[in-house]
Order: sequence, then C-alpha cells, then structure tokens
Amino acid sequence: MKPSSLGDVFDRQARAAFVLPSVLIILAFSIFPLLVSAYLSLVRFQIAPGGYTLHFVGWSNYRKLLFGSEQFHFLGTFGEVGALEWTLIGAAALWLLAAFVRYLRGGAWSLAGLAGRLLATAGLLAVAVLCAYTTGGAGRLGSFTVTLFYVTAGVAAQFLIGLGLAYLCTLPVRGRWFFRMVFFLPLMVTPVGIAYMFRMIADTTVGPLAPVWNAVGLRQISWAADPWLARIVVVIGDTWQWVPFMFIVLLAALESQPRDQIEAAQLDGAGGWRIFRDITWPSIAPVAASVVLIRLIEAFKIVDLPNVLTNGGPGIATESMTLHSFIAWRTLDLGGSAAVAYMLFFASTICCVSFFHFVVRAARRAQGA
Amino acid sequence: MKPLRRLLAARRLDELAPAQKFVVYAPLLAWTAIVLFPLYWVIVTSLKEPIDVADGPYYIPFVDFRPSLHAWKYIFFDLGRDTLRPYLNSVIVSSAATLVAVLIGAMAAYGLARMEYRPSVGSVLLFVAAIALAALMSFWGGVDWRLALLAGLAIFAIALRMLGRRFRRRLANHDILFWVISQRILPPVVTAIPIYLMFKELGLLDTHSALIITYATVNLPIVVWLMYDFFCAVPRELEESAQIDGASRLRIFFDVALALVRPGLVATSLLVLILCWNEYLLALFLSTVEAQTMPLLVAAQNATRGPQWWYMSVLIIIMILPVIALTLLLQRFITKGLLVGAIKG
Amino acid sequence: MKTDILQRALVAAAAAALSLCAAPSSAKEFDGVTVNVMTFTGPQIAEPLQRRAPDFEKLTGAKINVITVPFSDLYQKLLTDWAAGTNSVDAAVFAPQWMVDYVTGGYLEELTARVAKDRALKEDDVAPFFRDFSQKYSGKTYLIALDGDFHMVYYRTDVLKKLGRKPPQTWDEYLEIAKAAHNKDWNGDGKPDFGSCISKKRNAQAYWWITSISAAYIQSQGTAQGAFFDPRDLKPLTNNEAFATALRFYKDSTQYGPPNEINLDVGDTRKLFISGQCALTLDWGDIGTLAIDPTESKVKDKVGAVILPGATRVLDRDTGKLVGCDRKRCPYAVHGINHAPFAAYGGWSGGINAHANPKVKDAAYAFFSYMSQPAQSNVDVTLGKTGFNPYRISQFKDMSVWTRAGMSVEAAKNYLGAIEASLNSPNMVLDLRIPQNQRYQQVVLDTALARFLAGELDVAQTMQTIESGWNELSNELGKDKQLAAYRASIGAK
Repeated sequence: MKPSSLGDVFDRQARAAFVLPSVLIILAFSIFPLLVSAYLSLVRFQIAPGGYTLHFVGWSNYRKLLFGSEQFHFLGTFGEVGALEWTLIGAAALWLLAAFVRYLRGGAWSLAGLAGRLLATAGLLAVAVLCAYTTGGAGRLGSFTVTLFYVTAGVAAQFLIGLGLAYLCTLPVRGRWFFRMVFFLPLMVTPVGIAYMFRMIADTTVGPLAPVWNAVGLRQISWAADPWLARIVVVIGDTWQWVPFMFIVLLAALESQPRDQIEAAQLDGAGGWRIFRDITWPSIAPVAASVVLIRLIEAFKIVDLPNVLTNGGPGIATESMTLHSFIAWRTLDLGGSAAVAYMLFFASTICCVSFFHFVVRAARRAQGA
Repeated sequence: MKPLRRLLAARRLDELAPAQKFVVYAPLLAWTAIVLFPLYWVIVTSLKEPIDVADGPYYIPFVDFRPSLHAWKYIFFDLGRDTLRPYLNSVIVSSAATLVAVLIGAMAAYGLARMEYRPSVGSVLLFVAAIALAALMSFWGGVDWRLALLAGLAIFAIALRMLGRRFRRRLANHDILFWVISQRILPPVVTAIPIYLMFKELGLLDTHSALIITYATVNLPIVVWLMYDFFCAVPRELEESAQIDGASRLRIFFDVALALVRPGLVATSLLVLILCWNEYLLALFLSTVEAQTMPLLVAAQNATRGPQWWYMSVLIIIMILPVIALTLLLQRFITKGLLVGAIKG
Repeated sequence: MKTDILQRALVAAAAAALSLCAAPSSAKEFDGVTVNVMTFTGPQIAEPLQRRAPDFEKLTGAKINVITVPFSDLYQKLLTDWAAGTNSVDAAVFAPQWMVDYVTGGYLEELTARVAKDRALKEDDVAPFFRDFSQKYSGKTYLIALDGDFHMVYYRTDVLKKLGRKPPQTWDEYLEIAKAAHNKDWNGDGKPDFGSCISKKRNAQAYWWITSISAAYIQSQGTAQGAFFDPRDLKPLTNNEAFATALRFYKDSTQYGPPNEINLDVGDTRKLFISGQCALTLDWGDIGTLAIDPTESKVKDKVGAVILPGATRVLDRDTGKLVGCDRKRCPYAVHGINHAPFAAYGGWSGGINAHANPKVKDAAYAFFSYMSQPAQSNVDVTLGKTGFNPYRISQFKDMSVWTRAGMSVEAAKNYLGAIEASLNSPNMVLDLRIPQNQRYQQVVLDTALARFLAGELDVAQTMQTIESGWNELSNELGKDKQLAAYRASIGAK
C-alpha cells in the first residue's frame, strides 16, 4: 500500500495539523473581541458629529459598579449582618484555611498553584460576605449575586434531575426510547421561544395554571411581584430547558459504565447504594464534572428567561449580569456594558478555572489512578 | 433497604412489586408531563384566536374553544416568502456550521486525546502579542487588516527565532483543553460588536458565510471538549494495529477513530446543530435581510401590540419539527453505535 | 385536450410578451432605484409600507424594499448600521425620540427644503405639534410623521354609566372610578374584573406613564416650559411635591389593577382591556382601532376615550410646592383643570440616511411623502391592524372614514374628540429628546420606578435617586451641551 504524498506531508506535521485549525480559528475570534471590549470598558461612548467618540475614562466604569452609583445594581444594597451569618462566614473561612494549610504541607506546591488558590479563596470569601450583607435585613441582591443564585440553584437542580432521570432510564423500564426522546425535547426549542412559552404558562390570570393558582387562594398574589418567587420561576424555566443536556450526556456515561464490575459486586451481595457509590459514581465522575463545567459556563450567561419573563423585575430582583450588560448596551452605555461583561468574565473565569482544577481534574486523576 | 436493593439489582422490572414499579415510573411519567405540557400548550395556542388567549385559559380545542387556523395561515401564506427565507437560512447556516465545527473540532480533540503537546508558555504569549499588535494596527492604526496580519506573523516568526530557546515553562494538553473551553466564557453581548466590525471589514455582513464562520467558531470549544472525552473512552488498540498496517494518520483518524466514536460524534453534532439552529444575538448583529434566521422571526413576534402568542407558537412548532425528525432518524444511529461500542469494548 | 392547453398557454405567453414590449416605456423618475427601508417586524408599521410599495413603484419606478428586525432591537440595529458606516439601510421608520442621537451623529438627512417645496404633502394639514416639534430638531425638519402617538385615558362607557360617573377629568377622579369599579364582574364571565390596568413592567414601554401623570402637575405654561428639566438650569423636575403626588398615584393605582400589573407590558394591558377585564386604562391611540376588531375585541362600542386627566394644583418651580391654578399659572386650563397631554415616543416617522446615494434619498423622500399624503394616510390610520394613529387635522374632521372602518358614529366622535383635544392643546408635553435620553429614561427613571413599585425605595428615596441619577448623567455627558439640546428640543426661549 502506497500512501499518498499528501498523507505523508500530513503525517509528518500530524501533531500540529490536528490541533492548529481549531486553535487558530479560536484565537482569531477571541483576541480581537477581547481587546476591543476591554478597551470599551475603559471609555465612554458618545455620539458626536460625523459618527461617535470614545472618551477614555480609566477605571470609572468599574468604580461606578463596585463603589459608585451603580453599586446597588451590580453588587446589591447592603443590609445588616447578623451573628448567624458571621458564624457561617467564619466557619467557611476556617475550612478554606484548613484546605490551604493541607495544600502547603502537602509539599508539592508551586507559585502558580498558590496564586490560583489564593485568588479562589479570596473570591469565595468575598462572595460569602457579599451574600451575607445583601440578604440580611434591608439588603437586596444585585445582578452579580442574582447571577450566582441562578448558576448554583439552576446547575444543581439540573444536575440532580438529569442524573436521576438518566439513572432511571438505564433501568430496564418499558418505553425507554419514548422517555429518552421526550426528555430530549426541551433542548430543541429556541431559548427565546422557551422564555415566551414560560411567560404564557406562568401567567396567573390567563395561563393554564391560573385555575390551580386561584384554587389555592393565591388569586390576589402574583409571583412576578415577589423577588424570590420571581427568581425561582426563572430557575424553573432554566431547569426545564437544560435538564436534557445533563440527561443525555450522563445517560451516555451511565451506559458505558463497567457492567462486569457491577455484576461481580452484585454477586458479592453489594447493595444498590454501594454499587452506585463505589462503581457507578467513580466511572461517571469525569463526564459529570465536564458537563457541570460546560453548564456553569453557559449558566453565567443566562439572559433570555429573565429578560422575557420579568424584564429583570420586580425592581431589579431578577436581573442577571448579562441582562444588566445588555440593558446598558441597548441604551448606548457601551462602556458600562463592557465593564459589566468584563466583571462577568472575571467572575466566571475564576469560578470555572477553580472548578476545573479542583473538581474536573481531580475526577480525571481519580479515574486514571 | 432490602426492597431498594432488589430494585436496583433487578434485571427486569416485571419482577418488581407494584410499589417499586411506582417508584421508577412515577418520576419518569411526572417529568414526561412536565416536558410535554408546555409543548402541548404551544400547540393549542397556535390554534387560538387572539381573544381566546386573552380571555383564557382554554385547554382543549373543540371542547372549550373553537380552533382556528388563522395563525398558520398568516405564517404560511400571508408571510409566505418571509417565513421561507429565514427558514432556509437557518437550515443552510446551522448545517454548514455544524459540519465545519464538528470536523475541525473532532480533529483537535483527537490530537489532544492521542498525542502530547508541549508548547512553551513564552511562544504562546508571543503569538498572542503579535496577533494583538496586528489587531491594534488595523483597528486603531487604520492599516489594512491583511497587511497587519502578515506583519504580526512576521514579527512573531522573528521573535520566536531570537527568543525561542529561552522559554522553559511548557503547557500540557489539559491546559490547551481548558483554554479551548474557556473561550465560551465571554458573553456574546461583548463580542457581538467586535465581531460585527470584523465582518464589516471583510465585507461579509448579512451573508451566510459570516454566520457559518461565527457559529462554527463559537461552538468549536464544545465539540473539542465533548469529543475529547469520547476519544479518551475508546481503546487505542485498533488504531495502533492500523498504524502497524501502515495507514496514514489521516486515514486512521477518518476510518478508525471516527468510526469508533460515532455515537459520540452523532450526539455532539446534534447538540451543535441545535445550538446553531437556535442562536439569536449574533444572528441579530450579523444579518439584516438576506441571512436573517428563524429565532429573529420568533423574537420579532413581540412588538408594540404585545407578544403575538399565536404566531409565535406556530413558529416554535415549525422550528422544533425538523429537529425532532432528525433526532428520531439519528436515534437509531446512536443506538447502533452504542451497541458496536459495547461489543468492542 | 393536452395540445389545447399548450396552445392556449403559448398564446397567452406571446400576448404577455407583446404587451410587455408594447407597454409605454416612458422612463419614470426613479427607474432602477431601490430603497431599503427598515422598520420593525409585525404588521403595525411594516404592513402599510409593504402594501403601498407596489403602487408607489408603478407611479415612480422606485422599488421599496422593506426590511424588518425585532422591535426591541430596531434602535441598536439602525445605530450600528449608520455609526459603523455600513449604510445598508437607506431610510427607516422609527420613533422620533431616537432622532436626537441620529441627528447628533450626522446620520440623518435634513428635509426642511424638501418639505417646504412639497405641495402634495399638505404639511398644513398635519397637526401643529407634529409639524413644529415632533418632526423637528433645533428648528430643522428631519422626519416625516406617519403616525400620531400620545397618551390618552380609555374607559368603558357601560361601566361608567352603571357607576353613574363621568369620564375622569383629574387623576383623583381616575382613582375614585378605579376604586368603584374594581373587583366587580363587568364582562359577565363570572370572574371579578379590575378597576384600572396600567402597564408597569420594567424595561418595557411603561416608564412613560409617570410623565403622563406628573406632567399635569409640572407643566402648565405650554410645551416650551418642559416637564423633565427646568430649562433654565437643567435641574431635574423629579424631586418635588408634584412628582411625589404622581408617584403616590402610580402606587395607589396598583391596588385597583391585576395582581401581576407590575409585570404587564402595554400589549398585555391592551389585551386585558379589549377582552373586557378593565374599566380604565392608559394607552396610545391604538385601543380605539383595536376595540372595533371583532377577532380580538369584546368591547366594541363600549369604549370611550378622553384627554389625559389633569390637575387643579401645579408646581411652583422655585419652591418645589404645589399651588392652586389661576389664570396666570395655568393659562391653558379648562374649567380650572390643567391638562398636559404627553406625546410619549412621538409617533412613528420616516427618516433618511444622510450617507445614502442622492438618487436613493430622493426616492426615499418621495415614498415617505406618498405615505403621508392624505389620500393614503387617511385610510391607513383607520385600520386596526396598522399601528398608525391620526395626526392630520383632516383625519378627525371626516367622520365617514371611521364609520366605514366599523366604528359607530358616537364612538368615532368620542375617540376623535379626545384626540383633537389632545392635539390642539398648546400644553402638550414633548418627550425627552436630549442625547442619550434612553439612559435617562430607560435606565435611571425606569429602574427607580421598578424599585419603587417593588417596595425597595419609598417616595422620597425614589425622587432622590432619579434626581441624582439624572444629574450624574448630565455631568458625565456635559451639562451645557445637554441643556442646550433640551432647550432646542422644546423650543425654549
């Protein structure tokens, strides 16, 4: 067999040839937008004769978000913090400190590792304090904390429901294909469409659930007027939309788990829970960690649901960071919009990098071992 | 604990007691209802007159309201060409983008799963700096972008020659992998304007190519990330024996590796296809008339008169139908692939 | 049989070819010119443009290509296209409030000379407010009005009759009626209905109502007095007794509305009203024509309209207190009540891209002029499916077009009377038209109102937040520039 000369050329450069197209395309598409938007976040955009001007204002867009007139919007309104919250924060700090000490005494520390851990710890603590301040007393969440709520509540709910359904679908139930097909459906609906669909369903006067809502005596109450109810409705919509993604990937992972090991364990008389803990979970952990990471990244960008369901109301209770940025952008505050987006970029990067290092890689290592 | 154990150990559910069957079927059926009800509501709404929506809720056509096809008529006949054009655009753009993304992305994932990459940190930074310089030159300096890109690459090549040997720290595969997925972090709100400017410079605004390139790029990370896991999961032996037979890398990739991960490949393609099919914000920026896609049409049904639920419902339905058909078609494919994988593995 | 069909087809084709050749090939003014006109998707504005484009092409040879994008993105889409220099859009139909940004950037063609020369446009017939304010910026004309937009109060004539009340003349009366009508079944479906439906959704089209309410207390000396800022020094008129009264009304009216009023956009309140679930509502002109549409309406001929309610006490700008109306303070008051109808948004109008090809610009102007001429416009404003509302004097003088469209004479008189009263008012309020007005209204004002309704802020805090937010913006964008722009927009002397 004589390989073609083109194949030869390719073979010699195979390593680069496989990866470079992707890397170059992604680079080309990321560097320029990153630079432009970083620059935009430091300027004030104004329309001027002959087009527009970009007036350099330094950190003022960020300062406004963190300390100035937009603080309530981004971080939230601060209330008083009770003893309980302080105890919780203290406990969290101690736990993080312990993890830190363990890492240092483990011996294998590096400068980058240390810096990363410091950043992650500081970030986590700051978020904890912020949550305590914005939920306590007269405190109100801002778009930053609301986004964190969507991310944690949404991804957790989606993962648990997705895993549970995937597990049930691996059992020899009747109509498995039907269930698989049906559970996959929500992913196919365009997100804008889902948002409008939920607005219809969640309407308490003419929506399909209105009779139920009225029957339990809530006629005079609207979820849209209550901050937490409104946020929960957003999370429900998000969960409806994204469970299928978790479901399908976890189902694939569950189906490829080592059957011989399970059968052996069953012969040994191991219980269902032990099989799940000792065999199933470790075998799906890397995939589980990967999908959660992908969902984390996407969840930070949530915008359609709050935008269509409540437009961020009541007040600013359901406004996510992307929506915050989007509204600023729609009203020509391009600098402020880019600053919010960059804050989102930082928060989401710190969160996702930490997750990747401490969970995804840990899970992969555990499997490799 | 014992009944639960029996439940989890059971090979066939027929053996189970009714109570245990209930534990399994109740959640499945409940979630089925949760998934299907909103879709049912969309179908019903597409058959309602505006007044039946505003005055509702009405649940069952013919029983508590008189169905009407006015919304379907409006979308298919009154709008007619204005529905067909975005529909075809969506088909063209999302299938082409999926093809490109899956092909390039699977190659990268294969490379990362099978070979070792150790680029030095310094050269990567150098490259980024060179490209950034080129971007600066063309964006603020007013240099033609092709010229700027060439200059940037030249600077990179020269600098690498000079400094290349001093770079010690190296990256590993998992760093590259993470960098790839991290490219999805930046929210589209910020990237939309720069991407718009890029395509304006290239003269590609409102064309299929602009959308195809953009969608392929933004979905590449997902392809790489998912396919990497799939490649890692299949054994290397077959590829190695093919290599001994003297097959080229490319041939091994296409004939052996891709065949082995076919179920994963199909699932990933489907996911990417759906993501492209449903994308809104970038489409809004990059298309004006000729390349407008379906999600824009859906969003557009909310204007000064409030959401036109009936039209929106019709559009949502005609947007899901082809995806369902495709999934049904591929479902068999995925199963077959999974079975093959199970036998081999 | 088959050959027969074939023969006939051939004959027909030949005849068609002949007639094409024989058609008078007299060159029309804009042969071969294509104009890309952008507006938002949906029948409201695009439908009349598309419907009349073929006729226009037959007349002039210019091909009109109507491009549509989602309503919520129209402003950005136009701005991006023009600011980035893509210029794929030659002309657009948009809300005149955006004009200031487009004019400042030099994207819009000035039309003063063209309008002056254009006899067929019958500019004298256009209501003075649109002629003198809405189409103009700094005294120059940039837009051709195609639609009249201002707020009115709509009421159910049957409900008011049963309650024995007259249409509300003041905001206090409005609340009284809402209270009396609330929680009673008015449309016979067994469910209690609502006294007042006002759209209060955030980030929607709701933030204008507060101006409709507060303006009655704030502006009494005519359009040039301004209802947003003091034209002397750009001091926001949002932290005083007048605005506080409006805020209290805003919150009180919520008690007589649907429980989810805070999440209703104007489209939702429209549907509630025409399906008979509300006794009172605030809206633009749209309800008048929607209420006679049998596929949507349950309240045909049960709808009345009235000019925005007024106030008997108005703001003293020096003290920030409310004082009683007298002839000097409220020169335009009717029976001692000061009305300040608010032209929110301003009415969809056509503007032309300054960087378009000159021939294309001429064709675009000709098209907008054609659309606005009474022969076309006076029909379009009576159609429920279009979003066009009356803006020409002849449109409310001639009753026949309305009765032909399905209105009873009485309803038409009532509806047109409210429009005429609003349009003729010299105390009409012009919407905020200073650079980046969206940030003042859609961000600062709208967010503060939403937080106020959600109970996050009280009246004083809300006023404080709006005032400091507006001041911060003015300082950021250049106070002198903003003041000059404000004075130019309202024609302050």
